[in-house]
Amino acid sequence: MASVRSHENIELMTYSEVVEISGYVGNFKVKIRKKPRYVDASKCTGCGTCQDKCPARTASEFDLGLGQRKAIYTPFPQAVPNVPVIDTETCIHFTSGKCGACQKLCEAKAIDFEQREEVAEVEVGSIIVTTGFDSLDPSDMTQFGYGRYDNVITGIQFERMSNASGPTGGRIMLKDGSIPHRIAILHCIGSRDVNYHEYCSRVCCMYSLKFSHLLREKIPDAEIYQLYIDLRCFGKGYEEFYNRLQEEGVNFVRGKAGEITDIAESPEEEGKLIVIAEDTLVRRKRRTPVDMVVLSTALEPRADADEVARLFSISRSKDGFFLEKHPKLDPVATTTDGIFVAGCCQGPKDIPDTVAQASAAAARVIAMIDKGVVAIESAISVIDEDLCCGCKTCVSICPYTAISFDEEKQVSVINEALCKGCGTCAATCPSGAITSRHFTTEQIVAQIEGAMV
Amino acid sequence: MSFEPKIVGFLCNWCAYAGADLAGTSRKKYAPNVRVVRVMCSGRVEPGFILKAFQQGADGVLVCG
Repeated sequence: MASVRSHENIELMTYSEVVEISGYVGNFKVKIRKKPRYVDASKCTGCGTCQDKCPARTASEFDLGLGQRKAIYTPFPQAVPNVPVIDTETCIHFTSGKCGACQKLCEAKAIDFEQREEVAEVEVGSIIVTTGFDSLDPSDMTQFGYGRYDNVITGIQFERMSNASGPTGGRIMLKDGSIPHRIAILHCIGSRDVNYHEYCSRVCCMYSLKFSHLLREKIPDAEIYQLYIDLRCFGKGYEEFYNRLQEEGVNFVRGKAGEITDIAESPEEEGKLIVIAEDTLVRRKRRTPVDMVVLSTALEPRADADEVARLFSISRSKDGFFLEKHPKLDPVATTTDGIFVAGCCQGPKDIPDTVAQASAAAARVIAMIDKGVVAIESAISVIDEDLCCGCKTCVSICPYTAISFDEEKQVSVINEALCKGCGTCAATCPSGAITSRHFTTEQIVAQIEGAMV
Repeated sequence: MSFEPKIVGFLCNWCAYAGADLAGTSRKKYAPNVRVVRVMCSGRVEPGFILKAFQQGADGVLVCG
């Protein structure tokens, strides 16, 4: 991110949102709403004094509620640019008009409570959408007790906990601050499940294995249980990593956990969380008492994917992720020319696959820029100006708004870059002035005759 | 001999034709009574095409899109 920001040909706009897009490949006009940070990015030196001195605290979104942040904050230590933002709902100045400590203490005089929202308009040739994913919230899967039991956490919460700069300084601990000695990691929470998402989230097997490895390192005597449906270690070096963990003494149980309970049935289960699952390899029900449960939750489309899809004219597949033009032959393009997708917004994928897809999308865009011209479809509609009577019927029915009216010549004009060749105009034109290339009336009539032989 | 209708199907390239194509790649069989004419959009189908199909002896016309 830091090198992206310092690149002379890249303008990075963070804390901004695309609100409107018009135009077509090579000529997009994009309206971007820049939300107010209340900090002047051109003056801020990123010293962090404001964050140290701010008296207002709230739960940190980045730490998923495990830690706290101030009202003026950067979402995480490596955030680019290193310019904080004020959360107006927590800030004492915005809620009661008092405080203003950050403004008084900022040596660079960068705090500006009067900052307003701005709308920037840029012209671009192509667009790559990389809006990512949301992690499934397991709160409504009552059988797992997430939110009910203190020590049932999600994979991302575990990730924050194991991070050296995270809320616990890298220590894996229970809610009461003690160290867990028996930990269960449950795979496929919301993935491969007809009640939630039928697809496989692809990354959970490997990150669950990584968690085991981290736990082994941090708590050497820990008993670790992995409860899985199938282990899908499909990538380069992944199977080897799985073998290594088996040698490290991680317990693998083939069976999806059905329930987590705190109702003990024997003395050794007292005060523990009991994971109930059917071990399908030995064909018996297994009760595993543990201190901590990690839920490997599914990757799902962003909550606003529908809105974003509409804005960028992208289709979505059945599972809600953005639809590529072709699953094998064109996995980075979309049905709208000049708009590409990369990463988890197109479907769950791991880091190597995301990097590969993003590189492909960047290469596609660079190739278009380098060429300087855009190759358009040959199967588009053309208007015979001599026959066009100027009735404008085609202008109103074109689903791609590719047809406009030339007032001077009094004829309709087709924008070749926007026309998708659907031929609706050709079918509608009362004077027969429009020809749908490769699907002319003569060609179709000949096909009908051929079909009836 | 039982009656076998001849049906002309105008199939949209993006949905119905893709569906017929998918049936093929999925090794599914469908009756050979439908003879497919691919169009880029069902909007391309003119009333004249349908009349032409009937004139040529079609028992039915299917416009899918």
